[in-house]
Order: sequence, then C-alpha cells, then structure tokens
Amino acid sequence: MTDFNEIAFLELTASKCRENVIRMIKASEHGHIGGALSCLDIVTAVYFHAMNIDPADPKKEDRDRFILSAGHKCLAQYAVLAEKGYFPKSILDTYGSLHSKMPGHPDMHKLPGVEANTGALGHGLSIACGMALGLRNEHSDAKIYVVMGDGELPEGSNWEAASVASHYHLDNIVLFVDNNGLQISGKVEEVMNMTPIDERFKAFGWAVKNIDGNDMREIVDTLDSIPLEKGKPTAIIAHTVKCKGLAEGEGNAAFHYWSPSREEAEAAEEEIKKRTLALEQKSGEKI
Amino acid sequence: MIGEYLDPRKEFGKAVTELAKANEKIVVLSADSGKSSGFGDFVKQYPDRYFECGIMEQGVIGVASGLATTGKIPVFCAIAPFVTARPFEMFRNDLGYMKQNVKVVGRNCGISYSDLGATHHSLEDFAIIRMIPGVVVLAPQDPTEIRTAVRAMIEHEGPVYMRIGNPKIPVLFDEQPFVIGKGRIIREGTDVTIISTGSTTKAAMEAADSLLKQGVSVRLIGMPTVCPIDEELVIESALKTKRIITVEEHYTDGGLGTLVSELCSTKCPVRVKRLGIPKTYASSGPYDELLAYYSLDAKGIEKSTLEFLK
Repeated sequence: MTDFNEIAFLELTASKCRENVIRMIKASEHGHIGGALSCLDIVTAVYFHAMNIDPADPKKEDRDRFILSAGHKCLAQYAVLAEKGYFPKSILDTYGSLHSKMPGHPDMHKLPGVEANTGALGHGLSIACGMALGLRNEHSDAKIYVVMGDGELPEGSNWEAASVASHYHLDNIVLFVDNNGLQISGKVEEVMNMTPIDERFKAFGWAVKNIDGNDMREIVDTLDSIPLEKGKPTAIIAHTVKCKGLAEGEGNAAFHYWSPSREEAEAAEEEIKKRTLALEQKSGEKI
Repeated sequence: MIGEYLDPRKEFGKAVTELAKANEKIVVLSADSGKSSGFGDFVKQYPDRYFECGIMEQGVIGVASGLATTGKIPVFCAIAPFVTARPFEMFRNDLGYMKQNVKVVGRNCGISYSDLGATHHSLEDFAIIRMIPGVVVLAPQDPTEIRTAVRAMIEHEGPVYMRIGNPKIPVLFDEQPFVIGKGRIIREGTDVTIISTGSTTKAAMEAADSLLKQGVSVRLIGMPTVCPIDEELVIESALKTKRIITVEEHYTDGGLGTLVSELCSTKCPVRVKRLGIPKTYASSGPYDELLAYYSLDAKGIEKSTLEFLK
C-alpha cells in the first residue's frame, strides 16, 4: 500500500491541477469542465504515480502511454501535463485562443505528451489496442492507460476494441471508465442505459474492478494491482462525481460545458485555491 | 509479360509479402479479409506480424493507427467500401489527422463486385478519401503497377489509400519505378486527351487505338495516382489538345474527373467530359456487361469520345 505522504501529495497535486483547469477556463471563458473534473483525480494518479514517463523526453521509447478517449475532457490532461512539466504553465493561458497548442480536443502534433488525436468518441480504445499489440510485439513492458467517458460507451467501436483487447490478451491496457453518470442531455442511464458496465466488460473477457474514482487511495491501490488478472485487459469502472471539486457544479449535468462570467470563474478559482491551501497545510502537518 | 492475365489481389499480397522479408516493420491487419486479399503466404511466413480482428473495419483502422504509433507499417486490405465509407471518420482522424503511416487497400473496387450489388460497390472512395488532408490515393492500372505501387506505398511516409480490382487483369506495361503523383503518357496524340485511372485504362487504350484508325489522335494519360494529381501533366495535356475526357470506375462526381475539372477551371480552362458511373446505386450483373452498360468498356469510351469531339 502506498504511504500517506504520497496520497497527500497526489491529492494536493490534483487540487493544483484543478486550479490549472480553472485557469484555462478563465482564459477562454468556456470549456468542458464537468468531465474534466470528474476524471482529474484518475489522470493525476496515472501521470504522477503510475506512468513510466519523462516530461523532458516525451517520446522516449519505453514510455507508458495515456490516451484520453473522451477527448473533450482535455482540460484534465492539459492541466496534468502542465503540472508534470511537459510545457510551461503559461501555455495554459492560450487555451481557446487562435492557433493554441491546446485545442478543445487534444492534438498530438501540437502538444508534447499527447499520444492520440481524440475528440470523436469511441476511437481511443482501438488506438490503444494497436499500441498494445505493437509494443508487445517489440517486447516492451509499457502500459497504455485509457480514460473513456461513460457517455461514449454506446459507440459500437468501443466494443470492437474491447473484443480485440481480450482476444489478444492485452493485459498492458488499463481502461478507466469515468462513470460520472451524466452526459450533456442528462443521466447516462436515461439517455442510453449501458448498465451493468462492469458485467458488460466482464462478458467481453476483461478483468474488472469498481472503485470510487475520486478517492486517491483507491485509485492508487488499484493502479498498484495492474493487471488485475494476467492475460486480461483491465477495466476500472470509476464511479466519479461530475465537476468534482467545484461545489456548484458537482453532480450537475449543466456543468458538462461551462461558460462562466469573469466573476464566476474567479469565485471558482478562489474555491479551489482554498482547497489547495488546506491540502498544503494538511500535507505539511503530516509529512 | 505484356498481355498476361493476373489476379490483382494475389499480385498485391505477393508484393507486400516480398517486401516484408526485408522490412520487419510491415504488419498486416485483417477484418476476416486477409486470405482473400492475397495474404495466404504472409500468414504462413509471418504469423507474429499478422493480426486478425474479425469483421470490424472501424476498429481495425484504429488498431492500425495505434500500431503505427509504435513504428510499425500496418497494411489493411478488405473490400473497398468497408475500408473507406464505413470507417471514414476513423480514416480521417486516426490516420489522416494523426498522420499515421498506415496503408489501407480497398479491393474489389468500383463495380468489380458487380453481381453483389450496391452495398459492395465502391464508387465514392476517391471522392471521400481524397478529401482527407495528407492522404495519398492510388489506383494502379495493371499487375505491374500494383507491384511497383505497393513498393512506393510502403516507402512513402504517411497514410495511403490504394484501390485494386477483383477479376484477373492483363499486364499493360513494362516495369518502371512508380512515382507517387506522376502520371504516364501511354499514347501521344493531338485531338483530345483521355485521362484514365485504375481498372479502366485497358479499355481506354483499346478505345484510343480504335479512334486512331478513325483518324482521331488521342493523347492517352494513365493516372495511377489520383491524389495528389499530376498537375503538370494535366495542364500540359490541356494546352496541347484543348479537350480532356476522364475515365474512371467511380462516380463521375468527386473523383478523377472532378479533380481534373477543378484543376483545369483554375489553371487552364478547357472542356472536360467525365466518364464514369452516374451518381446512382449501380445495377448488378456480370462485370463486363455492367461496365458496358455504363459505357466504361472500349466501345463506350470510343463512342463518348466521338460525341465529345462533334
């Protein structure tokens, strides 16, 4: 089990990343905040705890890969990449501006650390399967981490890829389903009921675990036990809260995409900074 | 040997398999389509580099993209509409937008799966794939060009779409290096230029020869690269003959004819007549009869040319 200090550090880092998210939204006055904040604890843990990566050498051959299948949650990835040191944080202020290196969905040719051009839903897992096959063929131990939204589960291509992953025993794939339960039109179960998500993946031959996707210790302990079963791809159904960390938006489908006023953005900034400060103090006491 | 009839799928598969011996990066993907794409020997020789995915063309394009990110050169061949129209968005995003070094080959192209009907015809593949920035579109015209085009396709860094047919086709040309983006002058002439691509070039050659006997001098251009088109050769032909006829086993809209028309209207306005299939769901039946029905046999091309020159 990971020690308390690391969990505290990761929680603090996630809070700083949430600040980064708000910084981008403040700069552009809009963004897909809900999904970005629901998966942010996962993305933070994957980059800061699990992945074999070097921000100074983003293309190093034996690196682990991260694919954000739900590309609209890119604020989370941008925030974490910046916090990890892939690029200066000043670039965050260009989000939404002309020719930004950070479009509304990630572009691997514009920003270091991005491995795939996602945004059209249902693409990430197929690409991950190809990466997993190619890396295994090269005798690499690298893993491919994927974050998929629960709203994109009905895309048929996901299930094509789910079949490939189990058929080829791709236990180097770690899929997080960001199960925040809400999509743009409302509750995922009402828009298109894909439950039971865990049983569906099990039926496709995956090793599956349900976790609280906003609980850092649970995320980290799960990451430490990958693959859940040798020879099977791992699907982690991460039960999360949409817009986690911003009180007004938590569990609110209206915060799928947010266009705040200056005052609203500043209030959000203040709220999250307070959280960061509290976590800093908590870390200071315990470390 | 000139005139020898060979199976385009077998020639294609053989060419890839031969290159795979020296180039270990080449891997083959199948959507239950590998063996019928000429990869029987590849499967036997390189089982670790052959990935059967079953019938899931959208998934396969994504898998190919991911493989390419690891340095592999994936080759994926299946029935043309199922690797173009069906997974179009995957082609656009995962291969085009991501600039991945993947080679997609649509076989049984055009109406060559003639009797199977419109679901299995591919008459818009040039039109849709050429709209994806950075994708090369090839349509080799005979078995020799299939072999050389495969080599060029593998050597080219970036996504390529190539279409090949189904029935045996005759060798038309002696081997020469395939240069992507370059057409070839098959016959010199002064009255009209016929520009053909892929499967229709044999009929265009016969039509040109017959027209010459009737006193019509045809400049015949073979255009095995549809995109990027050989602008220099098209403009040179437009200046020389003032009139151009395009021939393709594709809709008259959106393909070679449209490309030539776009180019001429911009850089060298001349009259262009586009021969192909009208934008409809094509009928079914024996391949040769269907081609004749749509005036894509030698007689049809000849008749259309004479009408155009009236």
